[in-house]
Amino acid sequence: MKRTIIIFKAVTKNWLRSRSGLFFSIMFPVLLLLVFGAVFGSQGASTYSLLIQNLDIDGTPTELSEVFVEALNSTETFTITTIPADITDLRSYARDVLGPLGGNIRILVISEGFQDNLINGTLKVRVGITLNTTLTMYQYYALSMNETQKEAIEQGIEQMEQYNASLPDKKASLAVILDDSDQSSGIVKSIIMSIANAFNYELIGAKNVVTFQEEPFTERQLRTIDFYLPGVISAFIMTNGIIGVTTNTTEFKRRGIIKRLSITPLGKIEWILGNVFSQTLLNLMLTAIIIVVGWLIFDVQAIPDVFSILLIFLGSLLFSGIGMLLSGLIKDVEAASAVGNAIAFPMMFLSGAYWPVEFMPDYMRTIAKILPLTYFSEGLRSAMIYKYPEGIITNTIIVAALAVIFIVLGSLVTRWKEK
Amino acid sequence: MAEKVVEVSSLVKQYGSLTAVDDISFEVYEGEVFAFLGPNGAGKTTTVEVLECIRPLTSGSASVFGYDVTKREDTKEIKKRIGVLPQDFSALDKLSVKENIDLIGGMYDKKLDTMEVIKLLDVEDKVNERFENLSGGLKQRVGVAAALVNDPELVFLDEPTTGLDPKARREVWSVIQNLKKLGKAIFLTSHYMEEAQVLADRIAIINKGKITVIGSPQRLISEYGGLKVLIIRKGGKKIAKTLQERFGDTTLNNNEDIFVKVDDVKEMWQTLSTLTDMNIDKEIEIQTPTIEDVFLKVVGGRITEEGELT
Repeated sequence: MKRTIIIFKAVTKNWLRSRSGLFFSIMFPVLLLLVFGAVFGSQGASTYSLLIQNLDIDGTPTELSEVFVEALNSTETFTITTIPADITDLRSYARDVLGPLGGNIRILVISEGFQDNLINGTLKVRVGITLNTTLTMYQYYALSMNETQKEAIEQGIEQMEQYNASLPDKKASLAVILDDSDQSSGIVKSIIMSIANAFNYELIGAKNVVTFQEEPFTERQLRTIDFYLPGVISAFIMTNGIIGVTTNTTEFKRRGIIKRLSITPLGKIEWILGNVFSQTLLNLMLTAIIIVVGWLIFDVQAIPDVFSILLIFLGSLLFSGIGMLLSGLIKDVEAASAVGNAIAFPMMFLSGAYWPVEFMPDYMRTIAKILPLTYFSEGLRSAMIYKYPEGIITNTIIVAALAVIFIVLGSLVTRWKEK
Repeated sequence: MAEKVVEVSSLVKQYGSLTAVDDISFEVYEGEVFAFLGPNGAGKTTTVEVLECIRPLTSGSASVFGYDVTKREDTKEIKKRIGVLPQDFSALDKLSVKENIDLIGGMYDKKLDTMEVIKLLDVEDKVNERFENLSGGLKQRVGVAAALVNDPELVFLDEPTTGLDPKARREVWSVIQNLKKLGKAIFLTSHYMEEAQVLADRIAIINKGKITVIGSPQRLISEYGGLKVLIIRKGGKKIAKTLQERFGDTTLNNNEDIFVKVDDVKEMWQTLSTLTDMNIDKEIEIQTPTIEDVFLKVVGGRITEEGELT
């Protein structure tokens, strides 16, 4: 144990004094968190630019078309710009208004006659409903009526049918012009349709039968940055292990440092444990710094507990094990670094560390299931954010099992004797 | 009679079909400097690494302090009692000289005081300097210090001066001579003839995995070094012809220098007497054979500065 501690201290000290090591292990993850936090950390929802051309004017825009635009505005989802009614080339106009960096073009055209068609359409629907109800009632109670009553009702129905037929069968129409490349087009269309439907229901006097109530999964409402923070920690614990351990060990091997130590009474297991403890300390430091930055700047929710620390230790073991395995199989420092990167970077993006696995296509989800980082990041997220016991226990068991497998494989290929 | 600290018998080491060490036998005794002299790829480092218990042997036997290098329990005892300066020694760049020596020292149950070793190697003023900032010579001295920190009875120095400039090389020689004074047995490998001749009590010349000759530098020179040579600078053809007629084996180079090979002291005096009789007033030099001549004789080639055989 004495030798393990000496190795731990020496390797840690050597790393702490390395500016490039510190940058890539600690500063780079912090910078990445700041960048992603700045993009996704805001509590407020995103807004989309929307240009509206209201063609339903009678000197000034009609009342109902104005109400519709106000309803859109009240969602606080859109930054609305009005297009004058006399503009015909809407795309050129929109491009000029938005400028070269204005983003995607989204145009809503409120057609001429919007108000009239809305009123007539509503009236037609209401008359239709009344007529339909009257007919149903009449058929049901006709047997208990006398002839005079029947005649009066039939006359009323006939008059209602004539009136309904006389109402124009035109609908108030809206047209949207969206970029094909606009990834938010689905959201924009949904919001406009929701407002239009709300209009429909309000005008025909329909009441909500199904109610919708939103409740947060956790005690406090989580934001993207809360999801992202454990992802950054887990992803960089993985890169510190796979890229860091692979590169350092191969470099120590190339320079004969491992060989020099192997000539002393130091054992292979003592060397490996010293390095793993050093990695664990590095990863705990990384976690602490990331969480403090997250707390101070983005007010994140992450609260590390005993499971988080256990997972970080197991993750350090797991990814150091993979690093040792690679450095045992690869002699050349450059090749080791290249292979480490080739494994670590795809794993970082395919494992759900930065975005939910559910966002990915089916085949990618299958790949995610075989990546150790998937279980590690999910376990860490469960422990630090969701406080979800099943997620913590299941993922901790998987990470522990993988850690044992890789640390054993890594130890087996770590040569303590030349050939 | 000094005790044997190393005993090697019929040692063979093969890498696949390549035989790196081919049936060699030798001993190293306590307190002596034993040099393995040979070109790159001769099998020097392989032999040393077998003795350091970090490379398995193919056949034969090797023991250090009587412990078998192939037995796991014995290797633990050997590692405690040897000090090693590996070829191309390196240490943790960001650690200081003291921290690096402490690191190696920390691996042993018993060790010398680090500062004592640092003083011995005369690197006190660099004690807090990071390893990465040291010159090549100083790095080697740190390597030697690390090799001594466990107070070993036998020190392996594998190519300790390779790549160093002449000044740094001589500094390392001085360190090795001091180690000898401390009574340590030293197993030195080198491809520098002069280094082996200056430092070693006994030299084994190794080439293509085989030991060609083994013995003290004086004995090897006397047996294989050939004759002494008397050189008369700018002597010219006339004198060369006279000396050729009287003593034979005389050559003249393009600079008009005359080289007369002499068998013994008597013949040398006779040659000098002849030159005196001829009233020759030229610069005269006596060239004695060296280990390089021995190497040339027994191996049939020379070793370049880079260690290649030509």
